[in-house]
Amino acid sequence: MTYQLALQQLTDSALPTGAFAHSLGFETYIERGLVRDEESFGVWLAAFISQQLTYSDALAIRFFYEGVAVGELDPLLTAQLLPRQVREASVKMGNRVLEIGAEIFPSPGLAEYRELVATGRGAGHQPLAFAVIARSLGVPLSEALTAYLFATVTSLTQNAVRAIPLGQNAGQRLLRKAADDVAAAAERVGHLTPGDFGAVSPGLEIAQMRHERQRARMFMS
Amino acid sequence: MGELQLVVAERGGRSVATHQFHRGALRVLRPHYLDDSGQVCYVLVNPGGAYLGADLYVIDVEVADGAALLLATQSATKIYRTPGSFAEQRMRLRVGEGARLEFAPDQVIAYREANYRQNTHVTVHPTSSLVMAEIITPGWSPDGAPFRYEELRLRTEVRVESGETGGLLAVDNLLIRPPLDDVTGMAFMEGFSHLGSLIVVDPRVDQALADELHEITAGYAAQTGISLTEAVMGTAGLVLRSLSNSTEELQRVAGAATALLRKSWFGQDRLDLRKY
Repeated sequence: MTYQLALQQLTDSALPTGAFAHSLGFETYIERGLVRDEESFGVWLAAFISQQLTYSDALAIRFFYEGVAVGELDPLLTAQLLPRQVREASVKMGNRVLEIGAEIFPSPGLAEYRELVATGRGAGHQPLAFAVIARSLGVPLSEALTAYLFATVTSLTQNAVRAIPLGQNAGQRLLRKAADDVAAAAERVGHLTPGDFGAVSPGLEIAQMRHERQRARMFMS
Repeated sequence: MGELQLVVAERGGRSVATHQFHRGALRVLRPHYLDDSGQVCYVLVNPGGAYLGADLYVIDVEVADGAALLLATQSATKIYRTPGSFAEQRMRLRVGEGARLEFAPDQVIAYREANYRQNTHVTVHPTSSLVMAEIITPGWSPDGAPFRYEELRLRTEVRVESGETGGLLAVDNLLIRPPLDDVTGMAFMEGFSHLGSLIVVDPRVDQALADELHEITAGYAAQTGISLTEAVMGTAGLVLRSLSNSTEELQRVAGAATALLRKSWFGQDRLDLRKY
């Protein structure tokens, strides 16, 4: 279990990727009054985990672990993430992970991905940057998946606690419940096929697109 | 089963078919010219009237350099029960240098226990102009509930190519599986039953156009989102997605959006296919 502390550092919400600046669409639901309390955010979060997070991020991580080249997966993510802000969020946070990774967990695979990004053949997406480092550390796929998904869920919940706002204990209750959804998603992603990669949730996608035009907003996505 | 091939090329200011082939339950009607732009209009016909289980439809359309094609359908694509199987459509669209494809099909209607896969591969040149619309709706079911179909899988991939180089511009992967997922709730269909999409690829696509389309579509009851893709080889894409409970509403949204493009890019009137 030599990778344990490294994985904790990599998925800690203190890792400076800028995740505090992204709602990945839930701010649009707050604006519309549809996300307004613990319960309604929980509904949004469960849908987000079982849909976009599973079909895009988690599946990208699984395919990378199974040997699909990062140079093939990266352009697919760019093409599939149709809402501009969500695509930019993935690239912005992904590039931070690549940068931090080069400082603390260098590996040939990571150098290769950074080279791909430096030469414009890749954008540098968050789930792939994470997967490249996690695999180089010897983290098994199932642990990499749950750790990544739960880290994403933790950032989103912290952001919701600030934005809605919710109490700190409500945030912890949400996370406890989301843990079950994360476990289910990590299990489910093993049964998906290449044709499922990037399947969209139309309502979420529209909300993520509409966020570009929201007047008062706390988040970049 | 059905197969259709169509190649359209520019001949003396007008686009004409230079190759045509059909087999089985797919064909095109005699071409029309809706205006004096030279754009030829072909209407796809499925004489069988519906897609059934294990049906495979293969459509291959090429718009050669400088040509302009408007591809429409005669009626909705109806997917009936496909027990233990699925109906499938594979479509390959190639749009050449300075060529233009406007694809305006009627809606896809998925009935009870329907399972449908649609794979569309589009290849454009950096100077091509592509506008493709799509509307997905549930068919009538005995209990009146909208999501009685098994599975709809519609994947559209747009690549930009020029000579030896190329890149992926957009992948639109739609997967609706009512029996497995809660498709009615928040983040998915959000209480709506009909979904409309419009993909536009053209070197003139930019944020100003997205803003203008937003202004136009904001006046409709449908929930609409618009966003730009990354630019690839000097061209860019725009995706417009709408949710509604009515096919007509989605047609109005797509119609208003394409009317702007037709007018400002090609000096053409709003598309009106009802006269055919």
